[in-house]
Amino acid sequence: MASTKDKKRITEETAGLSWYQRLFVPEVIRGLAVTGRHFLRNLFGGRDPSPDFTYRKGSLGNQVATLQYPEEKAPYPVGYRGTHRLVPREDGKPRCVACYMCATVCPAQCIYIEAGEYSDDPIEKYPTVFVIDQLRCVVCGLCVEACPKDAIRMDTYQHTPPEYTREGFVYPIERLLKGPAVSHPSDPWLKRKDSAQPADQHFPLHGVAKHSTEPVERKEPLPQGKNHPEPPVFTEAEVRKANAG
Amino acid sequence: MRAALMTGLILGLCGLIAGAVSLFYIAAGALGVLTQAAFGKPYIGVGIANTVTLILVLVMVVASLLTLAERKWSALMQDRIGPNRARIALPGLRNQSLLGIPHFLADGIKMLTKEDFVPAHASGFLYTLAPMLAFGTAFVLFAVVPVAPVVPAAEIPIVGGLASSLGVDASFPVSLQVAPGFDPGILFVFAFSGIAVFGTALAGWASNNRLALLGGLRGSSQMVAYEIALGMSLVGLMMIFQTLQLEVMTEGQTQGLFGGVLPAWGIFLQPLGFILFFTASFAELKRAPFDAPEGESEIVGYFVEYSGMRFGLFMISEFMGTVVLAGVVTALFLGGYHLPFPPAWGVEAWLGSAIGSFGLAVVMGMVFVLKVILLCWLQLAIRWTLPRFRFDKIQTLGWKILLPIALANIAVTAVLLLADPSLELLAIVGLAEILFLVGLTALYPKKHPSSIVVPGRMMAGGSGGH
Repeated sequence: MASTKDKKRITEETAGLSWYQRLFVPEVIRGLAVTGRHFLRNLFGGRDPSPDFTYRKGSLGNQVATLQYPEEKAPYPVGYRGTHRLVPREDGKPRCVACYMCATVCPAQCIYIEAGEYSDDPIEKYPTVFVIDQLRCVVCGLCVEACPKDAIRMDTYQHTPPEYTREGFVYPIERLLKGPAVSHPSDPWLKRKDSAQPADQHFPLHGVAKHSTEPVERKEPLPQGKNHPEPPVFTEAEVRKANAG
Repeated sequence: MRAALMTGLILGLCGLIAGAVSLFYIAAGALGVLTQAAFGKPYIGVGIANTVTLILVLVMVVASLLTLAERKWSALMQDRIGPNRARIALPGLRNQSLLGIPHFLADGIKMLTKEDFVPAHASGFLYTLAPMLAFGTAFVLFAVVPVAPVVPAAEIPIVGGLASSLGVDASFPVSLQVAPGFDPGILFVFAFSGIAVFGTALAGWASNNRLALLGGLRGSSQMVAYEIALGMSLVGLMMIFQTLQLEVMTEGQTQGLFGGVLPAWGIFLQPLGFILFFTASFAELKRAPFDAPEGESEIVGYFVEYSGMRFGLFMISEFMGTVVLAGVVTALFLGGYHLPFPPAWGVEAWLGSAIGSFGLAVVMGMVFVLKVILLCWLQLAIRWTLPRFRFDKIQTLGWKILLPIALANIAVTAVLLLADPSLELLAIVGLAEILFLVGLTALYPKKHPSSIVVPGRMMAGGSGGH
């Protein structure tokens, strides 16, 4: 009885290890060699400062993968859905025509729009109020998919920055309307004969052939004049009054 | 770029240490001259100066820097950067991480300004006494450690001039050791590290906390268990050098073996004794992998009720123990302050003729501190390499493994010493032991034996598997 017990204890103590593993000291030395190698490499080895830390080169010796965050920011992947922006036209007005598609499709109901009309352009509407509550937004990107006018994009490659108040996360049109302007040859306000910007004036302005699918690049500064007014600025009261009338 | 920067920093550190050592010499010599003039007893001044410079400055500074080094070095060992976010709000320093040094300053400020909390039913006097015992014992241990060799006071710059202007005889010896010629020597270390057990046990008992009490019990039983192996592991060295004084042992290690090719360092004569002593000291210091009495974040330990600077005393005493252990091991096993060259080369004699005996002493003091730092690094590396022992394994290791090996080591050393008093036979056996360990480490099979293959891995399929 006692002998079986002793035998069992011996097997537990040896744990299936061979004698040189149970000698322990060589294993300690090997472990110390690993630790020391890491220490020396990281102490003397040069650090690849690339913020794309998953692809840092270890050939300089240093194996530290730490990203010093506020100073080094990892690049977002291509196609990253950042904070929204309302895409401006070449003249600075929003491309948005206040069709409510995005507000309708939004599963988080974080978009609020009020529509207005340009006095000189009776066809398209424009948003007098366009608000996105970034705290409600689930960053699904459905608004971008829904937009028929390419007027809302999530190509800023920024995540929502911190704010001190909840109200700060409710982005008004002033914060949303930013980034490079976008024009498409098919934009109706560029093609219409009776528009404030007749087609014959528009296409030379952008230097592209009619119906081109190439991206539009402006080559000259915007001309000023009767046909190129500053974007209208309305107070909310004015818009409500106009809408009521 | 980084390699050059780090090499420059290390060289700068060497220069800093050398400067500090020469300042220590000057302080000891100058105070010795003053007490010589006042009482005719130079050793009073030398002792006071050495107490202040070696214990209060050298050990305290290295121990406090080790609190930072523990975090910074462990980070490097684990492919991290380590603390570098604390900043000093002074112009020019505002946006510098300064190698993380502000962190250890911030630590000190935090410790000193935190609430000094005493639990409701704690035993007031013993509760206060425990951290003092832990700290004080670690504090005095360095008294017997020789940091730098004996130099006549007259050869120290400034001191010689001071002595002649005071008209005092400056032929008295100055060495960087608090208690030179102290006969008990290494026994003093054993005695006071034995008193450290009271700090641990009292802290656990006086806190009126059952978890702290259990931690104190674990700590005291572990420390008592390893005390014996600690003492026994050094008996071999005591027999070899026929002394207990660390400075005499240090000098004994300068003799050359095999015609001066090999210095008679303790590690060559007693490699087994070195491993046993180092292991037992780890358990005595309660550092990982023997940190079952208290495991920082995982195990509630004997000082769980302590806060502020009382806790700080426990923590700093652990690091002071690290420094003292490194100093003792350096003096006993690594040739002390002597340069790491074979005696036959005559490096020290050449250096002494080149830069004078004081310059040589400063270089030797620097070498000692560098050896200490290297051993401190080794202790931290062991901590960050090995997993913690289970508590019953700790006791098994102490009583059933270390103690018998230590006794066998004594017997074998005694026989070899009787057979060949010139130590060469001992050195041959010691080198054979080292060669055996190195060979075993190098030839160690990289593949794990099939008996400990993780069961989940066997499902990888195929005879080869992964």
